[in-house]
Amino acid sequence: MTEKTRLGKIEVSPTAIANLASRSVLESYGVVGMSSRSLGSGLADLLRGDSHKRGIEVRLEGDEIIIDLYVIIEYGTRISAVAHNIMSNVKFGVEKSLGLPVAQVNVHVRGVRVSSED
Amino acid sequence: MVDGKAQKVQEDRPLRKHETGNPIWTCEGQGLKRLLKAGTAWLERHMEAVNSLNVFPVPDGDTGTNMLLTMQAALEEIANSPEPSVSAIAHAAAHGALMGARGNSGVILSQILRGAARDLDRKHEFNAADLASFMKEATTTAYKGVIKPVEGTILTVVREAAEAAVTVAAEEEDLRLVLEKIVKAAKESVARTPSLLPVLAEAGVVDAGGQGLFIIMEGMLRYIRGETVEVDFALETAVDLHVPSEDEYGYDVQFIIQGQDMNLEEIRDTLAAMGESTLVVGDSTTIKVHIHTEEPGTPLNYGASIGSLSKIIVENMQEQYQEFILSQARPAVTSPVTSEEICGIATVVVAQGPGLVRVFESLGASAVVPGGQTMNPSTEELLKAAENLTDQVIILPNNSNIILAAQQAQKLSEKNIRVVPTKTMPQGVSALLAFNYQADLDTNARVMERAAGEVQTVEITTATRSVQLNGVKVKKGEVIGLLNDSLAVSGRSPEQVIEGVFRQMNVEEYEIITIYYGESVAQEEAEALAARISQDYPEQEIELVNGGQPHYLYIISAE
Repeated sequence: MTEKTRLGKIEVSPTAIANLASRSVLESYGVVGMSSRSLGSGLADLLRGDSHKRGIEVRLEGDEIIIDLYVIIEYGTRISAVAHNIMSNVKFGVEKSLGLPVAQVNVHVRGVRVSSED
Repeated sequence: MVDGKAQKVQEDRPLRKHETGNPIWTCEGQGLKRLLKAGTAWLERHMEAVNSLNVFPVPDGDTGTNMLLTMQAALEEIANSPEPSVSAIAHAAAHGALMGARGNSGVILSQILRGAARDLDRKHEFNAADLASFMKEATTTAYKGVIKPVEGTILTVVREAAEAAVTVAAEEEDLRLVLEKIVKAAKESVARTPSLLPVLAEAGVVDAGGQGLFIIMEGMLRYIRGETVEVDFALETAVDLHVPSEDEYGYDVQFIIQGQDMNLEEIRDTLAAMGESTLVVGDSTTIKVHIHTEEPGTPLNYGASIGSLSKIIVENMQEQYQEFILSQARPAVTSPVTSEEICGIATVVVAQGPGLVRVFESLGASAVVPGGQTMNPSTEELLKAAENLTDQVIILPNNSNIILAAQQAQKLSEKNIRVVPTKTMPQGVSALLAFNYQADLDTNARVMERAAGEVQTVEITTATRSVQLNGVKVKKGEVIGLLNDSLAVSGRSPEQVIEGVFRQMNVEEYEIITIYYGESVAQEEAEALAARISQDYPEQEIELVNGGQPHYLYIISAE
């Protein structure tokens, strides 16, 4: 993502945007983990620490920022509500720091964690 | 529902005053149902007020609505259930809340109910100890649902309420008294949220979700006490974002603009010119506006020209003021609560400039002593400020020349005084933000000192004489920049000096830059500077505050 200013241009890499997004995702209620997007088997794993970024894909299509999130959600929460919350949290969080609009936030629920028996 | 006389009470008739004197030992299924109903009804009355507080995580003003819809979904599930067991009712309510959960706070609320229900499993009724137990489990469940729990939200409020429940239930068995204590703890917890979550302090509000949860619990307490929902307007005044002073008239206008690609900065600037106490938060698609103005039509027309308006509230501040006078006996939840009122530790802050004084007051300083560069308050003045306060006092000198006077005051006073040696205003702000209401005096002094050390301070002023210091040559009259109290850069213009200091300190590594502009700087000038800085550092969040301080053109903090 490039922006021109008085002194020169500012370039924000997809990785930087992914970092911003990861912050918002990790603070989103109902998300208990991220899943690596490269796992073809569909096996969701709980990523720790820095590897959260592996569950986030940022694409730039023309001028548009598109963010794909691969998340694991806490069992017993309403998945559609949590997914909506993630979308708006990430969109708001990234736009607030970046100052540029985010065109899409796609949430892929890769797994549900059961942390305790009901 | 309950033991004793209360059991005879019909479902739709609230308890009368004279019936409320009896202790309540247990509560079974139908009792829980009525409690949930009462909590929901009370929340419904305060929905808009809760909405108006919503600034986190996304300022879309729907927290109250979402919580209410979630509670109503829970109620629908149990409305016609004749189940006598508290376990069955709790599970059904939790299921309803799960299915109807809306928004962040709604999802959290559903988790709270789910945790509570799980703990009540197979129980026919609950007593005080069970109540403490299920609130604890509700908290655990709520915290499990997120990787990084954000404190200063509904999570904090449910946790602190549960902690109170555990403490009280250890020595008290009357559910009414236990609930009273829980509600009190929740209320205090809500009042503390701005000190834990800076975005709330910036907007001058308490956390919406936390307030919503408090209101639900308060509704339950009111039901048990037999109070009708008609009599109390305390909450309406409590959520006023601003207590108008006597000379303020006009209207308090709030609304939400929804649109596309809106320019927040531009809208904020335009609205700021239309009134006072302007609060404009949001993003390019949703913006929440709060403004005090003589002509409510102007900001509304302007808003409508940008996007579609919703949640419009227009209130006459003079009426609010009268109401405020009438209800002044009750402290408003969001009026700055001083640390002293909550935990018995008072804070004395030295500050200069009306804006900075306001900042410190809003953060809960018990007393502000005027003073700063070239105007150092005496030990006696500091002692005098501490005199009327509690026995435990923390002093924030906010200037290296005042630390000594503060330490003198510590020696001379009979009170237990600690000096957190803050050298600059931003250090003082950071220290005060770190104040922990639950910690004791020494812990607080330590935590505050550490917090003060984490903020970078840049001060911009004019050299009063020619000097060479730290390898920097300065001519009299030149603009100089100090980084953390030592001379860093000199130059011709403030812009140039700020840029120089920023480069020296690698300002890109910080997240939030707050600029307090001084009394000799015009607002437009400061705004232009802030705009340029935010253009040059788009990753950083820039905040502009009218500090009104003398001597320093700008005081800037980076953290």
